Amino acid sequence: MLTRRTPLRAAAVAALLSMFAAPALAQEPGLTPTSIKIGLFGPLSGPSMSYGFDVMNAARMYYDKINAEGGIHGRKIELSVQDDRCNANDLVAAVKKLVEQDQVFLLNGASCSAAAVAGKDYVVRSGVPWLMLNASADGALYPPQPNIFGAFSISQRAMGGSIVEFAVKQLNAKKIGYINHDDAYGAWNLEAAQFQAKDNKVDLVVESVNPNISDVTAPLLKLRAANVDVLLIATYARPAQLILKKAYELGFTKPQVLAVNAIANVQQLSENVGSKDAFKNVYIQEVLADKPGSEKLKWVYDMYKTSYPDLASKPDHPQVYMPYGIPSAMAVVKALQDAGPDLTRAKFIEAAKKLNFDSGVMAGPIAFGENERAAQKASIFLKFDGAEMTRVPGAFASRWTYQGQ
Amino acid sequence: MELEVLSLFLQQGIASGLVTGSIYALLALAIVIVFRTTDVANFAEGEVYMASAYLAFFLIAIVSMPFWIAVPATVFAVLIGASLFQRVVLTQVAAAKGVSVNLVIATLGLSYVLKGIVRATGFGDTPRSFPSVMGEGSVTLGSASLTYLDLTILGAALAIMAVFFWMFNYTKIGRAMRAVGMNRRASQLVGINLGHVQMLVWGLSGAISAVAAILIAPKLLMTADMGVVVTLAFAAAIIGGFTSLPGAVVGGFIIGITENLVGLFVSSRAINVAPFVVIMLVLIFMPQGLFGGKVRVRKV
Repeated sequence: MLTRRTPLRAAAVAALLSMFAAPALAQEPGLTPTSIKIGLFGPLSGPSMSYGFDVMNAARMYYDKINAEGGIHGRKIELSVQDDRCNANDLVAAVKKLVEQDQVFLLNGASCSAAAVAGKDYVVRSGVPWLMLNASADGALYPPQPNIFGAFSISQRAMGGSIVEFAVKQLNAKKIGYINHDDAYGAWNLEAAQFQAKDNKVDLVVESVNPNISDVTAPLLKLRAANVDVLLIATYARPAQLILKKAYELGFTKPQVLAVNAIANVQQLSENVGSKDAFKNVYIQEVLADKPGSEKLKWVYDMYKTSYPDLASKPDHPQVYMPYGIPSAMAVVKALQDAGPDLTRAKFIEAAKKLNFDSGVMAGPIAFGENERAAQKASIFLKFDGAEMTRVPGAFASRWTYQGQ
Repeated sequence: MELEVLSLFLQQGIASGLVTGSIYALLALAIVIVFRTTDVANFAEGEVYMASAYLAFFLIAIVSMPFWIAVPATVFAVLIGASLFQRVVLTQVAAAKGVSVNLVIATLGLSYVLKGIVRATGFGDTPRSFPSVMGEGSVTLGSASLTYLDLTILGAALAIMAVFFWMFNYTKIGRAMRAVGMNRRASQLVGINLGHVQMLVWGLSGAISAVAAILIAPKLLMTADMGVVVTLAFAAAIIGGFTSLPGAVVGGFIIGITENLVGLFVSSRAINVAPFVVIMLVLIFMPQGLFGGKVRVRKV
């Protein structure tokens, strides 16, 4: 029954609803009409600092550039920075502080995969958008989560697929020897390597070894006896160098390709292996668009020198992974631009899912999808003679996609 | 499998296994001489070896010190460092009259300190090495190929074992060390200076670790975590009987060869499991180890 009070009640209810609705927009964390707060985190200290210190600096200098150009839809980027030490506990603590205390709009961080995977559950529960820095972190990207995006350098799976593609297309290998680790990372890169080998109709002979292995005679002898056309080394740096040394000692002369995670420092790699003759037929995988220091990437290194003149004057800077921070920051900026001026986390996540652009920094495009959270899937290859690197033409992409396993 | 391949696998597997086994044997020797004299399982052995490698790296690669100075300087510095640890830390821990496990915990503390120091230098972030004491080159024995460095490591393990075996059995100080290991109070009663003997044993253990590090680091490469290889040295010591010097060397060889043969004929994934299977078999069928002697029951 309608009464005279009904319009008043309706107005009151409408007013009440609008009171809740308006703050809902206003209370989107980390947003003001003039600023967007981003939580930037990575290793600023500790033994793994080299994986992310300058990567964070690269992201920061890109955000500074965007701010200098006027920001995004009138909003300037504000950074709230945390140190995760590449440690799982520290990363989770850093992420919680950024989300709950600093109230950031989105997270942009993580340079180390194991630590990044530890942050996955909290980030999924909190719903905060998270774009990683250079962590590959397959464990956090597959199965895909709505609000987590990563692998701006390359995922373990894409690394495995890409290196097999190079062996087949460039080195014409029909029978490929593949040494990986017997851990989760090894399982991930092997999954895509096997897919790519099957897709290319070639044989993959696999030897999986422990990361702490001290004698690599057995896997190498077996692969030599199997008469493989090429040896792909998808281990960490120390085992990879032991394999190169042993291959030389055993007279293995077929092409040897080092995956990107097997190379921490090329100069040190050369010194550790010792003999220059060991590098007669060695290739290294690189996920940048060209070899470091090339004309194509000069702008990144120039920007670093301008932004951090004191750091740039030090002998160990910029660190090897520095450029990897750029595509991640680019993705954040592009998604913020695409989400429009009426920004919400939901709109940002939708925009991030549709990203597909050439960063000019990485070997392949930065592209996500409805069911794809790993950004970059291609790599280039450099012939390394122990001193000089020569670019092999072309980029080689992994074709493995998540099939809902 | 063709006969030629089988022969290659066996020859190279055993030859390389002997070299890797020598690495375990050298570290096992350092563990055994401390244990048989002081009853302390030195859980810092891996890190003493690691820190020795980084000290040698610093002197050779950073300071550019000539080998003939850097090598003895490293060995001497580690000898002094290990002796001081025994004198300053372990003596104090023992004087506290707590349970003997406190001494083992003290060695664990040393391992963390050494690892922390190396990490703090910044050199532990990537695998490193320094030039080998031996030049480049290799020899072929049948189908097997070994580098000059491999042969040196093998020879060093056997030589150090022989020297210590001789010292423990035929010298006055060696007998004093054995006496301390058998009965500390009785050895003091016959005039042996317990403190000096224990300090000397720790120093010698450090010296073996340094020699091992100088020989092995160019082969296995250096990282702050390289001390993890000591797990296999403990395995070698256990297989050999834990108090026997020849046992430690034979235990090292058994583990090195087993790792390779399992990797070649079973699976590369099984390489790191194989030593522990061997330990289990030895402990089941020969609980005292291969050279640990017969089980003795003592009245107390």
